[in-house]
Amino acid sequence: MYLEYIKSALSSIRSNKGRSFLTMLGIIIGIAAVLTVLIIGDGMKATVNGELDSIGATSITVSMDSTKTDKKFSPELLNDIEENIDGIYGVSPSQNMGGSFIVRDNLTYDAYISAGFAAMEKSGQVTIVHGRYFSKSDVDEAKKVIVLSQTTAKKIFGYENVVGQSVQLDAYGPVVEFQVVGVRKDMTLDTAFASFSDSPTLMADAPYTSICDAYGIASDNIESFSIYLEGENKEEVLSKTRSVVENVMGLRGENAVKISSSLGFDSTTDSILNIITSVVAIIAAISLLVGGIGVMNIMTVSVTERTREIGIRKSLGARTSSILTQFLAEAAILTFTGGMIGMLLGITISYIICKVIDFSFYVNPMLVLIVVAISTAIGLFFGIYPAKRAAKLDPIEALRTE
Amino acid sequence: MKKLVEIKDVCKIYNPGENEVRALDHVSLIIGEGEFVAIIGQSGSGKSTLMNMLGCLDTPTSGKYFLHGQDVSHMTDDEQSDVRNREIGFIFQGFNLIPSLTALENVELPLIYRGVGKKERENLSKAALNSVGLSKRMTHKPNEMSGGQQQRVAIARAIAQAPPILLADEPTGNLDSGSSKEIISIIKRLYNEGRTVIIITHDPGIAKQAKRIITISDGKIVSDMMNPDYVD
Repeated sequence: MYLEYIKSALSSIRSNKGRSFLTMLGIIIGIAAVLTVLIIGDGMKATVNGELDSIGATSITVSMDSTKTDKKFSPELLNDIEENIDGIYGVSPSQNMGGSFIVRDNLTYDAYISAGFAAMEKSGQVTIVHGRYFSKSDVDEAKKVIVLSQTTAKKIFGYENVVGQSVQLDAYGPVVEFQVVGVRKDMTLDTAFASFSDSPTLMADAPYTSICDAYGIASDNIESFSIYLEGENKEEVLSKTRSVVENVMGLRGENAVKISSSLGFDSTTDSILNIITSVVAIIAAISLLVGGIGVMNIMTVSVTERTREIGIRKSLGARTSSILTQFLAEAAILTFTGGMIGMLLGITISYIICKVIDFSFYVNPMLVLIVVAISTAIGLFFGIYPAKRAAKLDPIEALRTE
Repeated sequence: MKKLVEIKDVCKIYNPGENEVRALDHVSLIIGEGEFVAIIGQSGSGKSTLMNMLGCLDTPTSGKYFLHGQDVSHMTDDEQSDVRNREIGFIFQGFNLIPSLTALENVELPLIYRGVGKKERENLSKAALNSVGLSKRMTHKPNEMSGGQQQRVAIARAIAQAPPILLADEPTGNLDSGSSKEIISIIKRLYNEGRTVIIITHDPGIAKQAKRIITISDGKIVSDMMNPDYVD
């Protein structure tokens, strides 16, 4: 029976092709706009996250919740983890120190030293261009060796290959000489940090132990450390790390260990991108609302025009619900069809835009389902008022109209 | 003869109060199965109101209407729809076909509302169109047919589901004399096949075709007699 109502809805849409299309246009544009924004938003997120992945996604950062405990990590704990957990390249403190490089009398540059273990080379961000990275024995023996970034080398020495040279590091008072064993490429992060300040901050990596010596701090004062992963075993490593740390440090059940799988870049940028996408999508959704009102408008006109038809149908035995269903179906078919066309249009437009500005293009199947559901729902929602008007018509009155 | 329609002391009052209009004023009427009745009256006589009442399109202000022994005078809209669908085949002055549908689809409409399956619906509708001589016009839309043909489609629609009553409201009012004759002869044939036919008209020439003539004036039945000039 309902099939018949849908059929008669279809035939009345067909008999009014031009107007039906114009009515649909509002929905087509609305759906296309919303979909384009959402797909491009997804593409933007995927692209930006893809770029950030090289920074953080292959490592886990472990730190303490300072509101719950004062305890710090010791190098022994880090060795424990390295020995007891499979599937990792290694563990390294992620301690950053300030200070300055003394180039000559009266000329110093701010320094930003990453102090860690030899495993830091495996962080996925280190590319050695000259010499070597510092080794495990360098760390064990607390040798005063250092790896400079390309920019740092050029800034201090005027050229890049400075292996074998030495630099003076002012460690907040004591000046310590470090031997340059290698030069690495600038990191994404270096450039990011550098852009925060006007005076250049020079990046370098050095063994954790040597830095502790130089700055005169105790080595069992590690605030956070990183675990470098070999593969897709993040979850497993995460839970094992948590249990090892909690066991060794006696912090079971206190939820004091904070573990994050990235440097905190993903979540912030993600939420910013989400906000941008949502705002634009809401603006686009307004056009969908306008389209829905257009459908309601045309359906109301159509009910008025077809008053006599409604009267005829009622005189032949159509119930209130039959008329209601017929007009609701008509509205829903209009917006559903509009939604489908709008979807194709939206996918095409966003594909072209993603290709042009080099974003990754991906259409979430859920998105497609939601779009179909929403466009049909718009028809049902905005069709209710005119359909109810049609269904309530008095057959005698309706038959009398010309 | 079994009672088909029984109207008891029915009044229909519009605008109750000072300017009230008594469209029907204590009307009582019995029509038996298989009768051929014409209800004749001038415009404003209340014949349209009576026709709406008989067709279950309207409910009386007071009084009772029994159709097939069932009290249909106070029903909900949907119950009335069901009774119309089951009991009454309408033939209107203005044909009242739906312009966007073909002849066949128009005839199928009451069957759709009755819930008849597609196959049977098509067979019944085709048979009805055949019986009014339109087997070659099934796929035509109303605007592709003459007035007489359109009225024949309307008749086919009224008889397709074999309702007990055919209710014709000025069936020839919009037709030329040739088509009128054709329509009247089809209606007569349907009566001869055993259907109950009620024609509402202001035209004595049409009324004369019926076997029983009821005259209505000022909302009252003023005469009800067998037609002495009736010819089969």
